Amino acid sequence: MNKQQDVESNKFSLLVIVLDTNPSQRIVRQNAQLLTQCVDAIIAFGNAHLMQCSQNKLAVLSCHHHATDFLYPLPGKQLDVRQIDGQYEVFSLVEKTVKQRLSHIITNSPKLNTPCESILAGSMAMALCYISRIQRNAAAGVKMHSRILVVTGSNECASQYMTYMNVFFTAQKLGITIDVCAMDKTMSLLQQGCDITGGQYLRLTQLDGLLQYLLWVFLPDPQMRQKLVLPPATKVDYRAACFCHRELIDIGYVCSVCLSIFCKFSPICTTCHTVFKIPGPMPIKPKKKKKV
Amino acid sequence: MADIDGEDPKEYRWETGYEKTWEAIKEDDDGLLDGAIAEIIQKAKRKRQAQKTQQNRLGMMRHLYIVLDCSESMTVPDLKPTRMLCTIKLLEIFIEEFFDQNPISQLGLIVLKGKRAEKLTELTGTSKLHLKALEGVSKIPLTSEPSLQNGLDLAMKALKVVPSHASREILIIMGSLTTCDPVDINSTINALKADNIRCSVISLSAEIHVCRHLTQQTDGSYGAVLDDAHFRDQLLAHVDPPPAAQTQENSLIKMGFPHAKTDGGKDPPLSMCMCHIENTEEPSKLTSGGYHCPQCFSKYCELPVECQTCGLTLVSAPHLARSYHHLFPVQHFTELEFNGQAANCYACQKPLTEAMDKNVYRCEKCAQVYCIDCDIFIHETLHTCVGCNTGNSNRN
Ligand SMILES: [Zn+2]
Ligand SMILES: [Zn+2]
Ligand SMILES: [Zn+2]
Ligand SMILES: [Zn+2]
Ligand SMILES: [Zn+2]
Ligand SMILES: [Zn+2]
Repeated sequence: MNKQQDVESNKFSLLVIVLDTNPSQRIVRQNAQLLTQCVDAIIAFGNAHLMQCSQNKLAVLSCHHHATDFLYPLPGKQLDVRQIDGQYEVFSLVEKTVKQRLSHIITNSPKLNTPCESILAGSMAMALCYISRIQRNAAAGVKMHSRILVVTGSNECASQYMTYMNVFFTAQKLGITIDVCAMDKTMSLLQQGCDITGGQYLRLTQLDGLLQYLLWVFLPDPQMRQKLVLPPATKVDYRAACFCHRELIDIGYVCSVCLSIFCKFSPICTTCHTVFKIPGPMPIKPKKKKKV
Repeated sequence: MADIDGEDPKEYRWETGYEKTWEAIKEDDDGLLDGAIAEIIQKAKRKRQAQKTQQNRLGMMRHLYIVLDCSESMTVPDLKPTRMLCTIKLLEIFIEEFFDQNPISQLGLIVLKGKRAEKLTELTGTSKLHLKALEGVSKIPLTSEPSLQNGLDLAMKALKVVPSHASREILIIMGSLTTCDPVDINSTINALKADNIRCSVISLSAEIHVCRHLTQQTDGSYGAVLDDAHFRDQLLAHVDPPPAAQTQENSLIKMGFPHAKTDGGKDPPLSMCMCHIENTEEPSKLTSGGYHCPQCFSKYCELPVECQTCGLTLVSAPHLARSYHHLFPVQHFTELEFNGQAANCYACQKPLTEAMDKNVYRCEKCAQVYCIDCDIFIHETLHTCVGCNTGNSNRN
């Protein structure tokens, strides 16, 4: 890397990649080779990010079926990498560390009997803690921009709704962009996260050329993207899902104590067990004809 | 936060202890004392966190009047640059945070000017109006004594009429040590109590007996500030919703969730929004975007809003989700002396060392160990325990 090129050394960008390595993903079950392809693409993409500026930083997390782990960097001492051609030693360090850690995780993971969901929201929460540590440790006057890229072939899981929302609002508050590359199903919750944090959501319909897509859509930093031709943003559906049926609704009833959303009036809140006063005027136009 | 719960007299005495420290700190203002205050703030924070887990009923729909002293005492430069300018700066932060964390709540501003009270803003649910009004506050001439009673009366009048399922609160920021009231203030205090209006006071000088009495009678909190950082902490503590008043009625409130979805890729017809229709500065324009009330199809530029035509409260699901963390807070972590419980912090991966980490923090649910920075970050910002959400429960 040419040090003279770094005119602005008071600025750097931290990229945290969250890679879904859960063997339950449909695309992984169909093609075991796919995970290796993804890992290769991620390593190449991460190195491309590092190559953009010598100050740039990279972290890679794996979201496995039983745990979330850092694949890169290691918490303490880094692996010993023999210098191959001097200049690009950090690149081979990324590759060696990621592959070694991942194979360790896969061989030591408990047996998976039935497919289970990927706990992506928790992995993203861990990424946020890591980012905020790097932020705290950054020297005064150094501007740091951070983003999280989630690469997943999982299905949506509404059970993590609360965690997802907490992650999105935290990222928004800290100015961290969330990018998502969905390799199988549409992930509408993650799509909301991209929208809230100003990130890019991309759903691939075929996985050939994954690396090209990553480089095209996600390598430019968010400020640069405005000048590029990227896939058009789709309108995000922010309707509420009722707590009782998880169905999207236009009009609903909200508990004044816990703000749970229900699609029908009921005399007791199933979330906080508050009993509602039925007699007395409803705040909004009670319909006298209909009986509840 | 000097909360007057009366259940724990020891804590209560500790909390009020700093009123005497305050005098001392004023005398020798050196760098070392900042550390002492930082510790008081940190302790108060952890105490508040610990309390959070015990509450389950909160007043989520808040109606809060901020009553701001604009008397001569606000010119004192003990807070930098003056009490008034420091207060304005902190209120700006407070107002933004308040609406960020209390998405379906309302706020209003009252100033105590001379002996009169004046309403700067009515109760409304967006920050813009209040922030604009606050800009004008710096131009108010700061003279004479305030009348706390007039301020309370004005706020009470407005809060009396809010729905019974909402929480009613007044937050008073007092610079003056005295108040100049038309009649006995106890009659006002009794009326506030009868109407379930919670009154809290932040005093910028020292303890004022009548203010403490007011907060005790109405279940509010009382605090005197040590410096601007302590002021900030005390003020921002009011961002968290208070426990629901026992008499607060509970109800299911009908709400609309408009979606900005377009039909089949076609551009929707141009229409006028309702929010800007009476705004002479920025008149309503014909646009194709916006949010439509699902009940009457009136259009608005921003959410949340109360539909002017049919009265339905319009919100988006993430608006509501912003306040769920108040209701489902992360459990308080146990503070442990570090003795090699883990090689690194579970969340941020920081290697833990005897030299750098005096204490570590453990979640009792997932048993993961965190560094002090992550303990603070998880409880104050992220509102999610990383260990509890990274699949360890699935491990066999
Ligand atoms: Zn339902
Ligand atoms: Zn409820
Ligand atoms: Zn408008
Ligand atoms: Zn309407
Ligand atoms: Zn940590
Ligand atoms: Zn936990």
